[in-house]
Amino acid sequence: MAFGGGWGGGVGAGPPGAPVAGLPFGGIPSELQAGVDHLLADEPERGEPEIVFSQQPRPDERVRLSLWRLLVRYPRMLVISGVLIVILSVALQVGPKLTEIAINRGMNPKHYQFSVVVWAALAYLVATAIGALCQRWQVRVTGRLAAGVMNDLRIKIFSHLQRLSLDFFTAEKAGVIMTRMTSDIENLQQLLQDGLAQFAIQGLTMVVISVFLFTTNVRLAFITLFLVVPILTAMSVWFHRRSEAGYDKVRDGIANVMADLSESLHGVRIVTAHNRQRRNVVHHRNVVGEYRDANNYTAFVNSVYGPGTQLVGVLGQAALLAIGGDMVLHHTLSVGALVEFFLYLNRFFAPIQLLVQQYNSYQQGQASVLKLRTLLETEPDVKEAVDAEELPAIAGEIVFDKVAFGYDRATPVIHGVSLRIAPGETVAFVGPTGAGKSTLAKLIVRFYDPTEGRVLIDGHDIASVTLSSLRRQLGVVPQEPFLFAGTIRDNISFARPEASDAEVEEAVRTVGLSDLIDRMPQGVDTVVHERGQSLSSGERQLIALARAFLAHPRVLVLDEATSNLDLQSETKIEAALDILLEARTAVLIAHRLSTAMKADRIVVVDEGRIVEVGPHNELVAAGGRYAEMYATWSSQAEGASSPRH
Amino acid sequence: MRVLPGLSGRHLSMPPSTETDSAFVPGAEPAHYDAPHASIDPDRSKTWLKRAMPILRSHQKIFIVSLVLSFVGLVLQVQIPKLLSDAIDNSITPHPATRDPITHHVIVHHGVPLHIYVWWIVALAVAGVVAGYVSRLYLFQTAYRIEFDLRNIIYEHLTKMSFPFYDRVQSGQLISRANSDIRSVQMYMTFAPMILVQCSIALVAFGFMLWINVPLAFVAMVTMPFVYLTGVKMRKSMFPVSWIIQARLAEVATIVDENINGVRVVKSFAAEQQQLRSLAKAADRVQWGYVKDADLRARWTPTIQNLPQLGLALVLLVGGYMVIHGHLQLGAIVAFYSYLLMMQAPFMMLGMIIMMGQRAAASADRIYEILDEQPTIVDRSGAVDLVDCEGDVRFASVDFAYGGDEAPLVLSNFDLHLSPGETVALVGRTGAGKSTVARLLTRFYDVTSGAVEVDGHDVREVTLASLRSHIGIVLDEPFLFSISIRDNIAYGRPTAQMEEIEAAARAAGADEFISDLPEGYDTVVGERGYTLSGGQRQRIAIARTLLVNPPILVLDDATSAIDVQVEQQIHGALRVLMEGRTTLIIAHRLSTISLADRVVLLDGGAIVADGTHAELLASTPLYAEVLAQAEELDGVRLGDEAEVN
Repeated sequence: MAFGGGWGGGVGAGPPGAPVAGLPFGGIPSELQAGVDHLLADEPERGEPEIVFSQQPRPDERVRLSLWRLLVRYPRMLVISGVLIVILSVALQVGPKLTEIAINRGMNPKHYQFSVVVWAALAYLVATAIGALCQRWQVRVTGRLAAGVMNDLRIKIFSHLQRLSLDFFTAEKAGVIMTRMTSDIENLQQLLQDGLAQFAIQGLTMVVISVFLFTTNVRLAFITLFLVVPILTAMSVWFHRRSEAGYDKVRDGIANVMADLSESLHGVRIVTAHNRQRRNVVHHRNVVGEYRDANNYTAFVNSVYGPGTQLVGVLGQAALLAIGGDMVLHHTLSVGALVEFFLYLNRFFAPIQLLVQQYNSYQQGQASVLKLRTLLETEPDVKEAVDAEELPAIAGEIVFDKVAFGYDRATPVIHGVSLRIAPGETVAFVGPTGAGKSTLAKLIVRFYDPTEGRVLIDGHDIASVTLSSLRRQLGVVPQEPFLFAGTIRDNISFARPEASDAEVEEAVRTVGLSDLIDRMPQGVDTVVHERGQSLSSGERQLIALARAFLAHPRVLVLDEATSNLDLQSETKIEAALDILLEARTAVLIAHRLSTAMKADRIVVVDEGRIVEVGPHNELVAAGGRYAEMYATWSSQAEGASSPRH
Repeated sequence: MRVLPGLSGRHLSMPPSTETDSAFVPGAEPAHYDAPHASIDPDRSKTWLKRAMPILRSHQKIFIVSLVLSFVGLVLQVQIPKLLSDAIDNSITPHPATRDPITHHVIVHHGVPLHIYVWWIVALAVAGVVAGYVSRLYLFQTAYRIEFDLRNIIYEHLTKMSFPFYDRVQSGQLISRANSDIRSVQMYMTFAPMILVQCSIALVAFGFMLWINVPLAFVAMVTMPFVYLTGVKMRKSMFPVSWIIQARLAEVATIVDENINGVRVVKSFAAEQQQLRSLAKAADRVQWGYVKDADLRARWTPTIQNLPQLGLALVLLVGGYMVIHGHLQLGAIVAFYSYLLMMQAPFMMLGMIIMMGQRAAASADRIYEILDEQPTIVDRSGAVDLVDCEGDVRFASVDFAYGGDEAPLVLSNFDLHLSPGETVALVGRTGAGKSTVARLLTRFYDVTSGAVEVDGHDVREVTLASLRSHIGIVLDEPFLFSISIRDNIAYGRPTAQMEEIEAAARAAGADEFISDLPEGYDTVVGERGYTLSGGQRQRIAIARTLLVNPPILVLDDATSAIDVQVEQQIHGALRVLMEGRTTLIIAHRLSTISLADRVVLLDGGAIVADGTHAELLASTPLYAEVLAQAEELDGVRLGDEAEVN
């Protein structure tokens, strides 16, 4: 699969810096080339990731998403970094202690002892070195931990997206889904990589210092902590509530910004054709502006909380000065003890400031986790049964058993449809707009589940078999072809990436794509794009047909994809279809009678019900609905051979 | 509008002075936010930060206030330890008769009451917190304004870009750059100045230290140059890895973007497994990047953060020696100690800021890469508005190829003239270049050689907005936005009255099904309009163009998914609309071709036959061949329910 290519595809893919065909954009800046090459030289070859997709979430995927659960999947790294953090925090506090020893013992004017000072300074150096070494390992370990967790999260979210059914993708804007998968996940990077470790270090420091405070003077410690801690707690609760709401708005805001951007990019032709650029710029500005407002609110909350905690710290010191000073004046405390107390209290408040910063990034991360959790808890409408079995190789019998369905439960579009399609039979669904032809086809591939009744393939209720075993044996040609960025070959072999060159070539030949491939500079290896303008819509459809052909399905569901093709290509397709339909069960959603006539049986659908079934000749003879359509067509075809003028 | 007599004739006038006044651009929705006041510096030789300076400068008022207040807050903060120690010396120390061995001062009074110090501290703290609040709030607001500016600048730039750009760039890439990259630039701009201000306290502290003892001050600061040098080295080694990470994040975004937009294909072919695998592969590449990043950080950050600790140990050693030999007072060591501690936090953050700077620099490069791309299809200087368009269209010896010089010609020596009011059908095989003709007329692309003329004016000599406002194009891919049907129809004329919208919908045969929807015209269509059938979307797209009421109409396969009964109804309306309008129809369906006065057969990028249907039938075997198949193929459309979801 080369679908991950694109901008920056030169990084690590193929020779470094090699231009990616058709993508001159995004090369490595020349001044970085050497550095990037040097780094990539170390990158080990990794094979295809061994990852298995299953429609059923594994038990560990079902549990509620939380940072903690993500972290405990790496117990070893978690314990190691925990131990390193404890050593680190202690090493950080050793320095001040040594300084005090040096001052009190070495520089005591009563008996100077320079050796004590030297030893203290040396010990200080050693402690610093140990701290630095621990930090080095801690950064490496937490960095790996963070990278691992982020990787798990990406795969977890993406797997879930693969499980969600079409209704989710219809209802949710692409940009919003995109935000969850990119921005929301990336939002956790800083927190995991550095934030949590800092959290632990600063928290530990505060504990250590609290212990020092209590060992110095229990009464004073109680008084100061009693003054400071409740106010800090109250402020933190306020901050937590406000920032939770604020960051939630921020996450929504960025999702809207992305959705607007994404839609503008995908609809760029319409935007341009209608001269909408200027208006859209203003609209986007309003959307971004709302996002900015949400951000500004969190800025306000932060600006109150940060300096606010600082104020509490200083007021605590002032209170200590008043109370402690009074105690000294009343000879219940020594001056030395008070000084020491001040020194410790200072150190008690320093980590609070750092904690405040980390708490902020924790809140942001938590907002993202909540968004991701909501996404993960979205259940697909079409769910694979827990005890779903593999659908064995099928002969291709399709049975609709009293099927009823509505996209919206209140308004059914299919009413009690029963129909049997024999293996190898070609059936065409015909009928007017909104009759429910495509809907019936969608029920066969289980894009939706019937609200009543069953759909059976070879006697298996399709709701009881695994989705992949079902869909792998069905080939679907949607009316609108979608091309992935990648080569034409990648697109054709989409369903079977392991297909050989000969098979790809056969598919190309069968659908009549050879002319196009010959015209392309790199043949089947020519890179195409989502909006690839160098391919006409007819050519895109041919590629979609080749894709279905290569999949070798037992059952083919074709939503007349030939409707956009010119006549020349249609002839090619006609021929290809003859081969494609051979010995396969086929359901054609026919938009023209000529296609329908080729079918073994024609099913006339109207208002969600089957009104007629039978071969062309019989239906014409019966003089019903189909005969009516046929008559219109005949006169139309006559008229068409002599257009106006 | 001033009419320009010098330039040929009455159809031309100078464009209005500001674009917003243009009569050709749909009126803007009310803007709730000001547009960015500045953009990036176009000089590519400058560093990224210098190029971003104009944006920062446009917010300099609140930015400078913020930095100044931040500094004031720090200066106030520095006073508090001094006040505390003074309070202890002057108000609490109980033995005035004792000669202080360190200061050699004889303290003889209890001059200042304790509460004065307490109140001073409280006052300073309150002043400090106010300064801190305002400075923080303004700083965050500056950052969010910068983000707002960048997002809008990028968006506006993207709307100006031409189709050749969109052909080679993936949306996922653009979205990623508008997300992760703006984020990392904005993060840097939020934190860097604040940390720099906090580092400026180092200067103040250094001043204090020099004042106390010059040699010891230099000993204390001796490690600082090394901190700087390490920072520079770190910068160099981290830059490539930041770049790799950003590029790989964009790969992930691209996979997700295509997975979401191609979800129907993915589900049809049960390709979840391979999609997950390619995502896992991309995520793995990101993971490796972050692990590399952690390793490099582990190499540099402990050094940067612990070098100041080394300074403390040196102060202890040297200062201790000086105290013992009577060159220094003990209090000075304590003061030095607090000053160095004061510097420690900013320097710890300095390590972080260097890392963030790396990310930001890499990100800025990626953003500038977009902004530095110049649109290739722009108004020429001196381009004039096309007014009172009569609809005379001429293609004169047009050669055209997508991509560079080596790309194959899609059109060669193409000549075509449409008289005002004439309707011409363009017929040809897939890949013959029919859609290209439409794209050249609307100037989505510029011809390689030759010229496209409207009313005798080369389309490159008139303004894009005026040209496109006179040409209505209905594309083969009926892209709808996820807004209400009413807004979709009014996309090109947002100010249209409801009656006009309904009239356009009626003419396009869409009124009936829209009225049947539960919410009628206010129904919000799903992502990319997929909740509607293909035919319904095409009808809305036609209504959208009809509402604009352009003198030149291009229907690029616009009715392919609409069933014949409905098309017949539309034909009536279309015939009326085409009256007095120049119309280019790209079609395969005979019934559609029959709307045309003249048929042009295109093959291999050139016209092979031109005339009425009857003439072509008689003269051109290829056309006759095509028609022979047409009679067989193009029958009655059996309903337009070609939904793809």
